[in-house]
Amino acid sequence: MKNKIKVQRAMHDMTQADLAEKIGVSRQTINAMEKNKYVPSTVLSIKIAKLFKVPVEDLFILEDDD
Amino acid sequence: MKANYLLPNKYKLFGWILFIIGLIGGIYLVGTDYESDVLNLKVFALYYDGTFFTENSGFFKIIENSIVDELVSIAIIIGGLVVGFSREKVEDEFIYKLRKDSLVWAIIANYIILLLTIIFVYNFTFFDVLVFNMFTPLLFFIIRFNFLKLKSNSNEE
Repeated sequence: MKNKIKVQRAMHDMTQADLAEKIGVSRQTINAMEKNKYVPSTVLSIKIAKLFKVPVEDLFILEDDD
Repeated sequence: MKANYLLPNKYKLFGWILFIIGLIGGIYLVGTDYESDVLNLKVFALYYDGTFFTENSGFFKIIENSIVDELVSIAIIIGGLVVGFSREKVEDEFIYKLRKDSLVWAIIANYIILLLTIIFVYNFTFFDVLVFNMFTPLLFFIIRFNFLKLKSNSNEE
């Protein structure tokens, strides 16, 4: 699964630490998600989408091998 | 992600201290071939098989034993459990996944190594393997977990 967290974060002018603090996770978690090393839970995905005010489907994109 | 079996974060330091003291004590004990006369106390044995020289075997015996090795084992196990199962400063689902993955990795790595030693190590040397194997699952788990944590920490944006 791909995601556009990094893009959205840049658009909102946030650091990884800012985003992590806003949604209550560690900075490593944000880092791992941006590097596509970790697929977040539904709860976390919706939290991030809500924060950026975009639909979840726009933020997380399925790939062929998913 | 709420994992309710985890201890609060403040116990972590205590766990590390106990664990490291235990490990140092353990290495010392192995180095001295478990021969220790320090802290010889009367202890209660659920079942005692005697030694090669005494016939005093049976259930529920009071025997004399150096409790150094017992203390070291307890320190390693309790310290290790506390280190491995106390909360991180920020405990979230990613950390939870790292912990779970490390546990799986530790069990598999431990038993692969045990299999190899069963095949290639014999007689009294295998006794050492058994002793180490009491602690290696915890040790592998802690090393793997902290390695993964450091790795995910190191690559900044």
